[in-house]
Amino acid sequence: MKRRELLKLGAAALTAGALGGCGSKRSAREVLLRYWTGWTGHELQVQRELIAEFNRSHPGIRVKILCVAGSYQKVPIAIAGGDTPDVCSAVWADQLYGYASRGALTPLDGYLARWGRSLNEWMPGVRRMLRYNGRTFALSTTANSNFIAYNRRIFAECGLDPDRPPQTIEELEEAAERTTLRDSRGNYIRYGLRPGGLQIWARVFGGDWYDEENGAITADHPGNVAALAWLQRWFKRYDIRKMETFEAGFGSLEASTGAFYTGKTAMWQTGEWAGENIRRYAPHLDWGYFPLPAPPGGRKNCVQLGGSVFVMPAACRHKDEAFEFLSWICGQYASRRFCREIHNIPPLIEAAQAPEFQSIPLMRDAIRLAGGENAFGPAPVAVWPMYQREIQRAEDRAIHGGGRPAELLKEVQRRVQREFEEAKRYAVF
Amino acid sequence: MKTPRWKVWAGHATLLVLSAAALLPFVWMVGTSLKADAEVFSPRLEFLPSRPVWENYPRALAYIPFARYALNTLIVAVFSAAGVTLASSLVAYSFSRLKWPGRDAVFFLLLSTLMLPAQVTMLPVFVVFKTLGWVGTFKPLIVPSFFGSAFFIFLLRQFFMTIPQELSDAARMDGAGELDIWRRVMLPLSRPALTTVALFTFMGAWNDFLGPLMYLNDDTMYTLSLGLQQFVTQHGAQWNLLMAASVVMTLPIILLWFLGQRTFVQGVTLTGVKG
Amino acid sequence: MRSSERRRSLRALAAGLAFASPWLIGFAIFTAYPICASLYYSFTRYDTLSAPHWVGAQNYVRLMTEDELFWKSLRNTLFMVAFGLPASLAAGLALALLLNMRLRGMALYRTVFYIPSIVPTVASAVLWMWLLNPQIGLINRLLAKAGIQGPGWLTDPVWAKPALILMGLWGVGGSMIIYLAGLQDVPRELYEAAEIDGAGGVARFRHVTIPMLSPVIFFNLVMGLIGTFQYFTQVYVMTQGGPQDATLFYALHLFNRAFTDLQFGYASAMAWILFAITVAATALVFRTSARWVYYPGEMRQ
Repeated sequence: MKRRELLKLGAAALTAGALGGCGSKRSAREVLLRYWTGWTGHELQVQRELIAEFNRSHPGIRVKILCVAGSYQKVPIAIAGGDTPDVCSAVWADQLYGYASRGALTPLDGYLARWGRSLNEWMPGVRRMLRYNGRTFALSTTANSNFIAYNRRIFAECGLDPDRPPQTIEELEEAAERTTLRDSRGNYIRYGLRPGGLQIWARVFGGDWYDEENGAITADHPGNVAALAWLQRWFKRYDIRKMETFEAGFGSLEASTGAFYTGKTAMWQTGEWAGENIRRYAPHLDWGYFPLPAPPGGRKNCVQLGGSVFVMPAACRHKDEAFEFLSWICGQYASRRFCREIHNIPPLIEAAQAPEFQSIPLMRDAIRLAGGENAFGPAPVAVWPMYQREIQRAEDRAIHGGGRPAELLKEVQRRVQREFEEAKRYAVF
Repeated sequence: MKTPRWKVWAGHATLLVLSAAALLPFVWMVGTSLKADAEVFSPRLEFLPSRPVWENYPRALAYIPFARYALNTLIVAVFSAAGVTLASSLVAYSFSRLKWPGRDAVFFLLLSTLMLPAQVTMLPVFVVFKTLGWVGTFKPLIVPSFFGSAFFIFLLRQFFMTIPQELSDAARMDGAGELDIWRRVMLPLSRPALTTVALFTFMGAWNDFLGPLMYLNDDTMYTLSLGLQQFVTQHGAQWNLLMAASVVMTLPIILLWFLGQRTFVQGVTLTGVKG
Repeated sequence: MRSSERRRSLRALAAGLAFASPWLIGFAIFTAYPICASLYYSFTRYDTLSAPHWVGAQNYVRLMTEDELFWKSLRNTLFMVAFGLPASLAAGLALALLLNMRLRGMALYRTVFYIPSIVPTVASAVLWMWLLNPQIGLINRLLAKAGIQGPGWLTDPVWAKPALILMGLWGVGGSMIIYLAGLQDVPRELYEAAEIDGAGGVARFRHVTIPMLSPVIFFNLVMGLIGTFQYFTQVYVMTQGGPQDATLFYALHLFNRAFTDLQFGYASAMAWILFAITVAATALVFRTSARWVYYPGEMRQ
């Protein structure tokens, strides 16, 4: 028995070993860099092309790309298990500060200086987003913006001036009211807008999630409370149950049957990526867009920055070569080409001025918004993922009619504060 | 003993109705796989496309290196199935037919290894494989199979315990050793159970996503489930192509079960043993 | 006399360990360290990115006194154990009995009923969100034909868990196969003998089928229990715990704490609490099993 079993084991091990050892051939002095990304599909394809170009133009460095999309576990476990990549873009801006504060990433300021680059190449909001506690921990090659798209035809039909979209909260509320249509039983045929994201609306209303000067969590900031109260009032006025029932019949926004494309909603809170969708699925739609309006004392033209960022794990063993690649892939040329092919906007000021972006009004305006003074990244705290989840839970409860905004946010404050205080004690950075 | 007529009709009727319900998911998968890009989410939620787009299949299969991923997945799945079936049946024999001091305690220990959520053991398991130098190979996905799987050891133990003791005793009296009894008495009488174990293991390995993601660092070694991720992007998914690829992925399993269930024949060999 | 007895029992031990050796060795190499490590982590503050810091029982205390999501997720999970598990067990058994009839085309039927459980999770998730759509999903459309106003299913905190249980019924193909395999082992002459004794269909079911199937029922019950306590994948893909934490199950909360919040030590403590609960529940089932599980291979009177 044992012999047979050993034979079987041996055969399996041999086979697996033979198959498992798919190493790569490289010349003795070539540095092999492992680059992990969360991009898939078309974006991954463009990344592959860019990397091929980098490899050709940089003898001595060979970058190997691996798509690790689909789980939150791969990166932390790999880092914990000592199997880190050299460069990684499978990290979201939301996760950045958690990783940075725990010492998992290499600070990049020294490298930026040595390579003659500066964070000032990036838009101010993005610049702030890439830094944590006075150090730079990431670079980025893409940016995004936010605005509200509106159906000009519907506006005109409802007596609103399609060339003068809402500029204040009151005008927004009025536009929503006027474009809403109900049938005889009170169910929706069309509604004005579904505002979303307490995270951004809090900033619109002058609130903030973190006070950097004093290093304090400010979940219960009056501006945040005002925003949540406004959202709660909105969903009470428009009866969220009726809205959700109506929304259940929406087609996907990745098909010509998307609600905004077919006039089921007059407005749509979205970002510049909508432009590509509309071009593909509803090319004849007569639409416009306007930045998020603010109440008096609030912030105009708010944008919530996020997306993938590029980091260099602390355990990277070829830091100079890794930064060579990092700097190139988040450089003017690569960013410009990548963004052009995937219809994003570059976060680099110079690349963003390129004619292929500036000649498209939507992109041009998106760039202006993303580069504006009210473009924010996530709150720069290590506990941001948990904070974000708590904010969402509070929002979910409030708009479904449960709880008072002030109390809900106080609860968020309490829970996050506790986690935050403790995180500080163990922080490396 | 023939089944009465009314039972036959009632049986068929019930089965047909339930079959329709059971097939819903699969019909939807196939239907969606044949839809044109624009049709995937029509507001009225149709099951079937207005006009089948057969090109989705070649498109899906060309979108990722399907053949290579399928081969990788096949290797992992076949070896896993073989390893688990062999090892688990050996270990199950020990827990069911052999009496030894501490047996039941060890059995409960075995069972308890299933009670700790994999989320937390995932990390130290990775460390073990890293220490062994197996990360980046197929080894973590295949080698542990040859040490048995608690789930299937438990299953086979239950089946072995239903085989009458006299059969083993008779063989023992004929001078057979334990290994012979295992091979000549237990295994032949457990064909349905062994088929089940092999099939389930194959299927588990075939569809496994986290294991390959965790341990493979070269996308030429990727498996089909990792390949399916390519159809899902940050802005949404190519549902029709994803479904097409998924349909092709499930076909081998369906085939295996269809063939394997032939071993599910009522055991006639348990007759004729008088006590 | 005693020495030969000892020799026999030593030989029995040797044989037992020899056959169990694959698992024992595997346990020593692949399982023992991870189990001990996770127990250790549960007493630390560990974010996986830097070294663990010992904090004693702090995680456990926090969990049970400060984390209302711990209790909420536990309650949600117990709901599934109380209602979802019996439903799945009964459905699997009923299906297997149906598929054990000697009808033509049984091979085809058996394949048909196995198919739902092998549809990939991603596809299944999208399909079900679609089927359970309150306005235009198939289920509510059918209910409307019968004059019933269907509920909000996955969008309604009250109906979300029942929706998941309903969805779970489509996945009984796996346990059905196990029951089927068990049914093959029921000797036909037992049925014949019972029939000769005048037993009707129901009596035959109660006195022949169930006892002969009890080892397999026991298996599905124990594994179902263990599995339901760790219920995770569907909600991770479909609801992420919503609406309003109605589908926040224990394993999902654990996952969030482990990999989103990078509180691996806390999550490990959660895992060990779940472990304790599962062990207790399983031990209970084992204790009662002597009364209703019948192993023909052992009982020889």
